[in-house]
Amino acid sequence: MCAAEKPRVTRLIGQSMPTLEAADKATGRVEYMGDLTVPNMTHAKIVRSPFAHARITSIDASAARALPGVVCVFTRDELLADDDMETLYGFVYRDVPVVATDKVRHEGDIVAVVVAETENIAEEAVELVDVDYEELPSVMSVDAALEDGAIHVHDDFFPIAPELRPRAGTNICHEAQISKGDIVQGFAEADFIYEDSYSAPPVQHCALDRHAVIVDYEGDEITVWTNCQSPFPLQREIKRIFNKDARVIVPYVGGGFGSKSRDRIEVVITGAAKLAKRPVRYIMTQEETFQTFIRPAYQSWIKTGVKKDGTIVARHHVFTVDVGAYAISGARSANNTLKVATGPYNIPNAVVDCYAVYTNKPPSAPYRGLPTTQHTMSYETQLDRIAKDLGIDRLELRRMNLAREGDIHLTGDWLRNAHTHECLDQVTEAIGWDKPLAPSADGKIVRGRGVASTIKYTLTPPREMSENSAEVALGEDGIFEARFGTVNMGQGSDTTMAQITGDALGVGLDLLRLVHSDTGLTPVDSSTTASRSTYHMGNALVDASDKLKEQILAAAAPMLEQSADKLTMGDEGVTVDGDPGNGLSFDEIVRRNGGPFAAMGECVVGGTWKAPDGKEYPIASTFWTFASCAAEVEVDTETGLVRLVSAAASATTGTAINPHSIETQLEGGVGQEMGPTLFEQMVWSDEGQLMNPTLMDYPLPTMQTMPHYEPRFVEHPFDGGPFGAKGMGEIGAVIVPGAVLNAVNDATGVMFHEVPLLPYKVLEALDSRAGSEA
Amino acid sequence: MNVNVTINDKAEQRDVEPSVTLLEFVRDVLGLKGTKEYCHSGVCGACTVLMDGNAISACSTLAVQADGHDLLTVEGLGTPDDMHPIQQAFVDNFGLQCGYCTPGMVLLTKSLLDENPQPTREEIIRYMGSNICRCTGYAGILASVEAVVAQRGK
Repeated sequence: MCAAEKPRVTRLIGQSMPTLEAADKATGRVEYMGDLTVPNMTHAKIVRSPFAHARITSIDASAARALPGVVCVFTRDELLADDDMETLYGFVYRDVPVVATDKVRHEGDIVAVVVAETENIAEEAVELVDVDYEELPSVMSVDAALEDGAIHVHDDFFPIAPELRPRAGTNICHEAQISKGDIVQGFAEADFIYEDSYSAPPVQHCALDRHAVIVDYEGDEITVWTNCQSPFPLQREIKRIFNKDARVIVPYVGGGFGSKSRDRIEVVITGAAKLAKRPVRYIMTQEETFQTFIRPAYQSWIKTGVKKDGTIVARHHVFTVDVGAYAISGARSANNTLKVATGPYNIPNAVVDCYAVYTNKPPSAPYRGLPTTQHTMSYETQLDRIAKDLGIDRLELRRMNLAREGDIHLTGDWLRNAHTHECLDQVTEAIGWDKPLAPSADGKIVRGRGVASTIKYTLTPPREMSENSAEVALGEDGIFEARFGTVNMGQGSDTTMAQITGDALGVGLDLLRLVHSDTGLTPVDSSTTASRSTYHMGNALVDASDKLKEQILAAAAPMLEQSADKLTMGDEGVTVDGDPGNGLSFDEIVRRNGGPFAAMGECVVGGTWKAPDGKEYPIASTFWTFASCAAEVEVDTETGLVRLVSAAASATTGTAINPHSIETQLEGGVGQEMGPTLFEQMVWSDEGQLMNPTLMDYPLPTMQTMPHYEPRFVEHPFDGGPFGAKGMGEIGAVIVPGAVLNAVNDATGVMFHEVPLLPYKVLEALDSRAGSEA
Repeated sequence: MNVNVTINDKAEQRDVEPSVTLLEFVRDVLGLKGTKEYCHSGVCGACTVLMDGNAISACSTLAVQADGHDLLTVEGLGTPDDMHPIQQAFVDNFGLQCGYCTPGMVLLTKSLLDENPQPTREEIIRYMGSNICRCTGYAGILASVEAVVAQRGK
């Protein structure tokens, strides 16, 4: 258990408060990576591959080096000549060259770094680096990569993470299976069997704050400023590659959504900074972000066996994820979602097969719950098809199969905080499910509603371990300082942590100072991903606060000539119970103590869980978040345009630390995911060149496409969470495509098996439906 | 080339290359980093500044085009301790998350309300639809603008 179980007073938790930094942000005072500078700084630009797959035959950077103002050019020659620099890096596979050595594996792959006195000179010098390539055949899709005789993106596999299993001699960098019960038996018992295939193309996160980094290699340790979401793993990796201590500092980040969950530029810019012997800054262009990390292409095939009454008895779900040229995040994300592929339903017999496949696309990254989003789209739209076919109400079919507290999940977990029915009830009520839809005045606009429900995991180690820690200190000024590694990328983490820490200590926000995401100042944390921070960092801060409080009360006891259990901490300092006039201020306690106080806290997760039945159950996810969405759409049958009119979303959040902040996270998730559902997709030519690398031809949701939102949450405290809280940052996005596709089916009678719902595809489908009816 | 501007009520004069964009001029020459960059193609609106009261994309405007004009950036609107009512509304109504689009959004709001002090919801949506926010799904932004409108309508 992370949190001490004792009654607590909550003053801050439960308050809807704007983020602590909101005024600084509204007035433009917050500094993001692109706003930072360091003395004597140089500027880098990257020479990138124009080809999806090619062998580098020669690199001649002499003309670039000769250009006045150029400091250095970092290429494979410098990398390979330096014995104190490892060649390959990567968190789950060691498959990424620091800078391209023999081959480039995707358009935009990093071939060289030019460092110059100004960005303009660096840009000019990039054009002077002469690279000769021998173009190689490329594989631009999973299907192509799995064909017999397909070229191999990598000749060798170097898995680091033990759970990853490549298939030698193929492009499959990971395959895995999870199962429950006996599907052969399950399908034999089924009255009906349904099989469907689904797909979703790659999209880009489009976090407005582009990836950027500053590296100072000089001094005792390498200093890296970056907007990466995982500063601690990055610090360890830089230390390993360069055999030198490193400090990673992450300022406020202007949106991550998974695109910055792992690094791609920090290591190569560190190499360039070592060569330059001066600090180097690199800021990507928007086009380069499209070549750096993308949400991968996804395909699934699912087969479901049901009884006549709608009971699901068997499920086989096979999915592929296109991890792109390097398995930086893609393989592990795919593997993690094995746990949730069958959804929030109680299915006695199930098998899920996962294949993560290398291609010559840019590396993939998580994207607000990916590919749980696509799993949800698959099983939820198939459920609507089953409901229609069996003549069972769509909500009723879900209600009879939704998992409940204590049901045994696919992973063997005893499901906790599984308020699935409440989520579904909330969204259907919020959207007015039983109210008639507005009639179509002239028959052109048709309307419909749909629902989707989901289950989401968080990153969970296979064995018991502490991967999260925090420190809380009381300084001479009488102010408490909370030090934690969570990256503030707009999700409101500083505020959440302040609310938790303040209530754990019993003091108000005026007595709190926060230090975030600096490996030199904050204790280790694995990453700010997978909706994990509220739970993990929140618990670590509660643990640290409890220990600090104990220290302070023990020190104050003799000063006040009372036993520690007769003392209370509050805004005034430490006071004697029943005698509030008798107390000491915090600065006075520190002074008399002869120095400040500090305590470390941690959050230990993993292991097993003892259920009420007395048995131990596995913990495949430290907590599960359940959610539902109800969507209402309008389809213009003349233009094929689909409009998301209204979207209700509900999630099991545990205790709501900052209720309105939760609602705005849900709105943001829904609003973001409607883009890939309705109109976003990245398109490559057959030769592997991205055809829509700018916002000119890559549309994003705007206020004009915004639906009416009805955010809700189901607030039952979760045993083990900080004050009963769980994570929910991603879940709003996960539930969107399934609900929208079901709504479009309700409106038109056409069930789409892919996104985005581009108008021409909708028209084609409507036409072919009309044709088949004629 | 010589560029004379009034920016945030202050006269500034600088000699710049003709190719320098207004965004580079504001951020790098004048050091006003509140104006942000993303797409560099005039689409996202992160670099929105007001020129003679009109919202423009600084990334797609040359510094020399601003010569002789009056500019307003987010720094000129208010400070954390003394926010402009529009900025206060964005704070109070959760009109921001990561905050990267916010300088552009608050200036766009100012431009809208200077032009049309009592816009309808449809007019707000059409006008504000020109800037991109990736975090909020726009609900908090719409609520912020409507809060200012309601306040002024009193």
